[in-house]
Amino acid sequence: MTTLLVIDDEPQIRRVVRNALDGIVDTVIEAGSARDGLDQAAASRPALIVLDLTLPDMDGLEVCRDLRAFTTAPIIVLSARHSDRDKAALLDAGADDYVTKPFSTLELQARARAQLRRVTRAAPASERVVAGEVEIDLVKRIVRRAGADVHLTPTEWGLLRALVTHRGQVLTHQQLFLAVWGRAEGDAQQYLRVYVGQLRRKLERDAVRPALIITEPAVGYRFAGE
Amino acid sequence: MTPIPERPRWSNWLLWFVILAASTGALLLFRDRLDKAHVALAFVLVVLGGSAVGGGALGIALATTAFVVFDVAFLPPYNTLRIADPLDWFVLFAFLVTSVVGAQLLERQRREADIARSRTAEIDRLATLGAETLNAPRAEDALHAIAEVIRQSMGTERCEITMGEAEGTDSVLPVREMNIPLAIRGIVVGTLRLGGNRPFRLSRDQQRILGALSYYAALGVERVRLAESAEEAESLRRADRLKDALLASVSHDLRTPLTTIKGIANEIARGSDVTRAWVIEEEADRLSTLVDELLDLSQLNAGQMPVEVALNTADDVVGAALQRVESALGGREIDTILEGEFTTLLGRFDFVHTMRILSNLLENAAKYAPAGQPVRLRVSRHGSALIFSVEDAGRIAAEDRERIFEPFARGRPSAKGSRGTGLGLSIARRLAEVQCGTLEFSPMADGSSRFILAVPAADVPIEGSL
Repeated sequence: MTTLLVIDDEPQIRRVVRNALDGIVDTVIEAGSARDGLDQAAASRPALIVLDLTLPDMDGLEVCRDLRAFTTAPIIVLSARHSDRDKAALLDAGADDYVTKPFSTLELQARARAQLRRVTRAAPASERVVAGEVEIDLVKRIVRRAGADVHLTPTEWGLLRALVTHRGQVLTHQQLFLAVWGRAEGDAQQYLRVYVGQLRRKLERDAVRPALIITEPAVGYRFAGE
Repeated sequence: MTPIPERPRWSNWLLWFVILAASTGALLLFRDRLDKAHVALAFVLVVLGGSAVGGGALGIALATTAFVVFDVAFLPPYNTLRIADPLDWFVLFAFLVTSVVGAQLLERQRREADIARSRTAEIDRLATLGAETLNAPRAEDALHAIAEVIRQSMGTERCEITMGEAEGTDSVLPVREMNIPLAIRGIVVGTLRLGGNRPFRLSRDQQRILGALSYYAALGVERVRLAESAEEAESLRRADRLKDALLASVSHDLRTPLTTIKGIANEIARGSDVTRAWVIEEEADRLSTLVDELLDLSQLNAGQMPVEVALNTADDVVGAALQRVESALGGREIDTILEGEFTTLLGRFDFVHTMRILSNLLENAAKYAPAGQPVRLRVSRHGSALIFSVEDAGRIAAEDRERIFEPFARGRPSAKGSRGTGLGLSIARRLAEVQCGTLEFSPMADGSSRFILAVPAADVPIEGSL
């Protein structure tokens, strides 16, 4: 029994979301304000939350952080295109995905399905990952491409491990800094894009048209899903 | 820098005492045949010559020495200071007075000539400064030139002119830093700051010159201020023009899709084919794009577009742009060429803005280039610039080559008659500018289209450190 919670002050948008996701979840509950949304999330433990970024009573980032304090349910944020730069901040605040307004029904459905699948699967990350012609053994620290060993520097390995263990999920620049360097600020981090470029040169067939390490503009990187 | 009267130099003194000795020697040879007047005249000439060249002090020293020599060597009884004929005393003193007065008159003359010369130099400097203030192409350059002239005139290590106000320095004692308020018609417009490595004090002359120079500094500051307000006025004018263009377009570009949506919604409500709703979705997308782009343009014009310049790689941004335009290309291939090593194709630019510019150029190329012809994206490094060039076989008429960057100008008819918003290229150019880049149309030798985006390049410090 899956429940969807839609938090948006616009009744029309709530209706669009309800209609779009009706077939994917069992029940849909609605909240017209951030306060109401937080109460309902605590009371009915939804499996998925769709949250509008601009609510009259609270900042969307704040709502995200508050929700994360008591629920692990995936949060999909609805944002206006002009808050492009805020996407990374949203993910850092605990959101799992975002959809820009105006969105198409198909797009929202795909994102919702992906999030629900990720939760139900919830299997521990396997120690051996295969993506295309690349094989990664996370325990033995071995990377092979088309059967041949690939040598990675410690930084490149740290980067690849972070991306692979969150396969299919966007990691923000900040999350990658933390995973690779153990802190979010520092001199070496401005070279993150250069490290990604080098890693792609070792793993991808065409570094300009990557199939494994995908760029999420203004947000971060994602390792291609299965 | 204030001109000081030339100091008597020892070589001058030596020379004139040698001349005095030589003339004494020469005169001694003919002492019996000479009259006192001849001797007096010869000595007066030496004294005047000496003071003309070496200054008043030398003149007076020469006059005194000549006075003694005259007495001892040429007025009987010889070789003593005594004088036989009392009338000779009169000759002797007349000589002394004539020499000294002459030497002093010459000295005064010299001093006045020096002052006149330094005044001329000062006027020259002020004239140059005036010309620089008025003629430097950029107001900031004029300000720098003025600061440099003042620094040289005052002989200080540093001199800067700022727009801000600061408390003036009372310079009775030597100071390391001196602030002079700059005023125009009694209103303080800026501050002149003089700084030295050691404490310094300005002479009376320097203070006088500084008074004149700081007036030019004030004029320079005023010019910068006027230039800034002119720029502001220009950006307001531009915003105004955009607003006019926007109002004109609203009637057409917004109303057309709205009319379609309204019409089809009405048809569906009356029971017509429900799949017609897809047209509503298409038109809504077009409206959405237009609204986004109008917001972008107004943000860019207001100087409020956020810019995050960071170290980025060319292949990352090219990859993101290719991914973004994939669906809009309708299967058309983009030939991507990266010229040079991956580590040389780095830049300091805004990732999202650059990706949007490239996407726009690629979409345009795919839209306007003749079908079947290649679209080429080439990345190369030229010194301190990272160059992205998008080439296609399409053509743009010479008279349209600048116009295409104006809002709502559609340069070339598209092959498929597709409707753009007419804002893409003007947004792209402004996006290039806000990250210190440029976007130009620069056709190939055969006349086919080529757009060139240049952004600041960057280097990785040490290969091994990565």
